[in-house]
Amino acid sequence: MKRFLKLVRKDLETGRLPVLLLSGITLALMVWARLRLVNAPAVVETAESYWPSIYLVLALAVPVTFFPLWLIWRSVQTLRLEWRDDTIYTLLALPVPGWQIMLAKLVSLCMEYTVLFAVATGGALLLFGGVLNMGTALPGPSWVALNIFWLYLGGLLLFTALAVQTQLAVVVGKMVGRVQGIVTLWVWILAVWFTSRLAELLQPLFRWLPVLRLHELMRLDELETQIILEVHPAGQVGFWLATIGIFALTGVLFERCVEVND
Amino acid sequence: MTTAEHALVVRDLRKRYSQVEALKGISMTLPRGEIWGLLGPNGSGKSTFLKCVAGLVKPDGGEIQILGETPSRRTKAQIAFVPEVESLYRWMTVGQVLDFTAAFFDDWQPETALELLEFMHLDGKSRVSSLSKGMRTRLRLILALARRAPLVLLDEPFSGIDPSSRDRIVEGIIREFKGEEQTVLISTHAVGDTEQLFDSVVFLAEGRVALQGSAEELRRSRGRSINDLFKEVFP
Repeated sequence: MKRFLKLVRKDLETGRLPVLLLSGITLALMVWARLRLVNAPAVVETAESYWPSIYLVLALAVPVTFFPLWLIWRSVQTLRLEWRDDTIYTLLALPVPGWQIMLAKLVSLCMEYTVLFAVATGGALLLFGGVLNMGTALPGPSWVALNIFWLYLGGLLLFTALAVQTQLAVVVGKMVGRVQGIVTLWVWILAVWFTSRLAELLQPLFRWLPVLRLHELMRLDELETQIILEVHPAGQVGFWLATIGIFALTGVLFERCVEVND
Repeated sequence: MTTAEHALVVRDLRKRYSQVEALKGISMTLPRGEIWGLLGPNGSGKSTFLKCVAGLVKPDGGEIQILGETPSRRTKAQIAFVPEVESLYRWMTVGQVLDFTAAFFDDWQPETALELLEFMHLDGKSRVSSLSKGMRTRLRLILALARRAPLVLLDEPFSGIDPSSRDRIVEGIIREFKGEEQTVLISTHAVGDTEQLFDSVVFLAEGRVALQGSAEELRRSRGRSINDLFKEVFP
């Protein structure tokens, strides 16, 4: 466990500066948008009637559009930097299984995601909660907390799966001498295809699993008749089995097949 | 004599990088308790050979046995490898580098590490990024010498560093060499001052063994120093 924590700490350290920077930019953009919102007389008067305000959209643009791309880029970088900085010599000389090294990177990426999510949602609630009259418009703090949690969990799971697929693509890319970029891209596409295909193939076997309705999960009672969003766990089983398989394969490839040479 | 009585047995080791054949069938046997010199000019295959033994590069053919075992996660725990490149995490302090290494190797000796830190004139609080090349090489050497690893592989530890650092490193190796329980293999293309270190030497030329044997015997039979022999083999 001590070894694993050392690996996680190492990976966290390499991501510290970019995370701080992105958090700072996100908060700065939110503060700027909040100030603009206050200075716009019509919006201050009845915020709800001017929804969605362009400033709020701008403030949330970074977390919504940029964070997912940035996190995928980070999952490439955490591996790629080991080669660029020659620290792969240190990493490959350690007597630890490849999956532990991969898992440490995943854990640190998930922690980065958590920090960024906390900054984005915390910032949005603190800066815009009052303007949008959230206190009275929404059912209550526990409802907000519950839905933020589901949002966090959904994003985390999706991001973890994507990061696992990315790790495989980068590791396989490092196993070839030439056209690493093309190989990496194709392996990533194949990994995404494989996970979705296995999800489809295994779905009939797990049909007995109950369907989760989003309006029940998120207590959106008034929307019950308008939006029917459902999560089918039957499809998720195959998806996650494939993801776990890809993760195990990446660990084996990293330990047995990759070399220090780029 | 069983292979386990040898620190390293290599048979017909081959490695190719796309168009270049780096190793063309190298064979050698290193008994325990000796310091070996792996000598050859740049591009002779020294680094590739050491990386193959350390498990950082996969050979295309041949056989490697480290203390009687084929390279694996288990043998990585038996090897202390100091690569030629700057392989340390530059944001770490010297102390953090030692802690990080200590966590992964059961043969780590914290007291020896502290002694070596003092001997090599390094401060535990300094950041790796702030150290000179010679200091970083000395630090990497501490990571190998502070362990009781049965096989120590040092890749060009004297390359591109000042004479005082080189003397410190040579002294450090002699000081921490653990006799019968340890075998040290040092690759270098600068034999000069380091000749005194070697019990035996292997000359590599274009991925092949050109000459090997006991340093003392070679000196006697050829009537010249290893350094002069090096100049003769690689004019």
